[in-house]
Amino acid sequence: MSNGDPVVETNELTKKFGEFTALDRLSISLNRGQILGFIGPNGAGKTTAIKILVGLMRPTSGSARIAGADCVRDARRIKRLVGYMPDRFGSYDNMRVREYLDFFGAVFGIARRERAKRIDEVLDTTGSTYMQDRFVESLSHGMQQRIGVARTLLHQPEVLILDEPANGLDPDARIEMRELLVRLAASGKTLIVTSHILPELSRICNIVAIITRGKLRVFGPLEQIMRTIRQRRICEIQLVDSEELEQARAALVDALDEAERPTITAFESESLLRFQSSRDDKDLAALLAHLVDRRVAIAQFREVPTDLEDAFLSVTREEKQAEEAVGKQ
Amino acid sequence: MNPIVSREFFGTLRMPRALAALVVLAFAFSLLVLARWPSDAVVDLSGGQSRQVFRVFAYGLMVGILLLVPAFPATTLVRERIKGTLELLLNSPLHPFSIYAGKLTGLLLFAVLLLLTSVPAAAACYAMGGLDLSRELGAVYLTLGILMLECVALGLFVGTIAQSPDAAVRLTYGLVFLIACLTPGPYYLLQGQPGLLTALAYWLRRLSPLPVIMQLVGDGGVGGQGLMETSTGVGEFAVVSLVCTAAVLGLTMFRLNHRLFDRSRSQGKITEEQPLAVRAARRVMFLVDPQRRKPGIPFYLNPVMVKEFRTRRFGRLHWLLRLVAGCATLSLLLTLAATTGTMDWGVETIGGMMVMLQVFLIAMITPSLAAGLVSSERESGGWDLLRMTTISGFRIATGKLASVLWTLLLVLLATAPGYAVMMVIKPAMWLQVQLVLVCLLMTVVYTLSISAAVGSCFAKTAASTVTVYVVLMVLFLGPLLIWLGREAPFGPTVVENALLINPMGAALSVMKMPGFERFELIPRCWWVSGGASLGALSVYFARIWRLTWPT
Repeated sequence: MSNGDPVVETNELTKKFGEFTALDRLSISLNRGQILGFIGPNGAGKTTAIKILVGLMRPTSGSARIAGADCVRDARRIKRLVGYMPDRFGSYDNMRVREYLDFFGAVFGIARRERAKRIDEVLDTTGSTYMQDRFVESLSHGMQQRIGVARTLLHQPEVLILDEPANGLDPDARIEMRELLVRLAASGKTLIVTSHILPELSRICNIVAIITRGKLRVFGPLEQIMRTIRQRRICEIQLVDSEELEQARAALVDALDEAERPTITAFESESLLRFQSSRDDKDLAALLAHLVDRRVAIAQFREVPTDLEDAFLSVTREEKQAEEAVGKQ
Repeated sequence: MNPIVSREFFGTLRMPRALAALVVLAFAFSLLVLARWPSDAVVDLSGGQSRQVFRVFAYGLMVGILLLVPAFPATTLVRERIKGTLELLLNSPLHPFSIYAGKLTGLLLFAVLLLLTSVPAAAACYAMGGLDLSRELGAVYLTLGILMLECVALGLFVGTIAQSPDAAVRLTYGLVFLIACLTPGPYYLLQGQPGLLTALAYWLRRLSPLPVIMQLVGDGGVGGQGLMETSTGVGEFAVVSLVCTAAVLGLTMFRLNHRLFDRSRSQGKITEEQPLAVRAARRVMFLVDPQRRKPGIPFYLNPVMVKEFRTRRFGRLHWLLRLVAGCATLSLLLTLAATTGTMDWGVETIGGMMVMLQVFLIAMITPSLAAGLVSSERESGGWDLLRMTTISGFRIATGKLASVLWTLLLVLLATAPGYAVMMVIKPAMWLQVQLVLVCLLMTVVYTLSISAAVGSCFAKTAASTVTVYVVLMVLFLGPLLIWLGREAPFGPTVVENALLINPMGAALSVMKMPGFERFELIPRCWWVSGGASLGALSVYFARIWRLTWPT
């Protein structure tokens, strides 16, 4: 495998449970050092895709490869290449953190001396050295997540697949986890991370895959997705007086074209008008001048910054609208 | 009506295992009566046939209650606590006593339903004649009714102290069998002697329903060393059991409140971080200090086996040493009994008792160790992590088996000195002892393989532990129940065939234990138990192999 080849690659990956299609022709590819944010609502098929990638599930059709190894046929190689942290920690009673890591090191066949060295390393990397003598079941959720990451790093895998690593973490622990994942990607690991906390994910991932009902809706670099979404800018007009809301709305309707008019929303209690537009900065300045000419007292004219959450919402809304359209037909 | 009563009662009835228990009991009792129902025109005026059925019926009913009833109360409170519904109940206007009373009543209703399945058979037995309705049949039902109450109260109490459903099941079964089978022990050794100790042993024995049932069915003289008892002991059993039940109820009420949740998680301070004096003291107190930092797992040991030892509460070396020391003490006590009691009982009887105690120990320990080998891993989420490693299914399977096998072998070795003393008393027994040891070894392999195989079929540890206990008790106590009816209703051929599935029967026949001396079970019993073990091991390995596959 050459350096330019994708580390993770799926081709038309499909999983069916009887009549139900959990995953529908998923095709993605990831290069070394990239972090993929795998987003989708509950039951979208994220965990199914992950389980196929780590060899815990077999696809109905399609293929998946990690670092050149087929996820179905080279299951043993895949285990060495992938470090997987499921959404459940998988603790053992009466076991201390160091013993826990030692056990997993031993089942991966790492020699004792080397194992001890690696345990020190992964504890250091995850900032968990101070808890090495504590019982695993006595750790808080955040600590367990860090030990989970340490366990996945033990056998030095090329790809880390983390299912909801920030789930249930407090803000401090979330920031620590974020920094840890960025450090790991910087060290050359390829990461696939699922999360429901989208602002969190947008800060670390450079590739995004949005999946709903088993289908991949959006896939690509975060910047590119944001750019697509930004083509329809969301603008807000903060009025000085809410009594002028109707007058301002009328002025805005006159200024906007037909496609833009339906996007106007008025928030009376906040003296606010919101609309979507594809205009550039120059056209927006002309729009503002038009409103001022019509004597609308404007306190603020601003663009709402778009983020991953908007991207996700726009994808899921589009899907909903398409469904409704089909329903009406 | 207390809402918990209906929820508990109907909730229990909805469980498939509850339905299975009802069907199996009803079927077994019907078969028993059918076996001795007069099929020709000859009527037995002596009531002998009826008494034969009554004997097996009473023992069977007691064993059925001991096997089936404790599982339900043991898990109910722990499950509610883990699922979080107990917090909701305690936070409701219901008083803790209402919660307790609701659970107790609901579970008792189910237990009574179990008992009711035997009523048609009991009525048929009574109709055959020769039985006294109140002094025999009624007394048996009264005794068993009190036993049910005791089992349910004990199970609920254990539910307030156990941390997981499977631990609750283990502890409850252990306590129930301790009360039923071991409490009569001291009295059998001390009877006839004056003193406070004998009086205490007498009342301790009254905790168990076994001597009462034995007395009611006419087996009161067994182990009595010629001493006859005039009373059936139903009244004394009722008093002692109800007092104990009340005490257990008080303890449960004491714990059924915030105390259930008021637990801090052990941080596990390591010995290396303790002051010098503490370290020195721990070095003296513990031969193997459980709190010392452990070295890595060496390459020559199966890591799964080491993990099993380390994660098991009693698997740590210091606990194993304590277990072995306890077994050795028990063995020495038996040796003492063997040397002082041979004049009255004979070496064979003492040997038989030793065999029964060892098998009891093995049958009690094995399910608690082996039933959850796979299910606990699946339940905790560790199984998926193991599947993601490079270790093979075969190594996982053997590592898990080895962790239980070593423990059982240690227990077996620790209980062996009694046989050495027996050989000193009667050197001619050397060959017998050798055969008995082989039988015990077969028992270990048999119980281990069956426990592992049955346990591997379940995803929940509590369910697997209960099922394994029931299966093992059926395999070990079932043939003994049939043996009790060796004259009638079962013939010698049926008894001999039934004993073949129980290696303990073979060991007792080798020991020439009274009642077993006429059966020739070796080597057929070894073939049967060996074959069954191989079959069970195949199932276990196949299950693990299947579970390591991608789904």
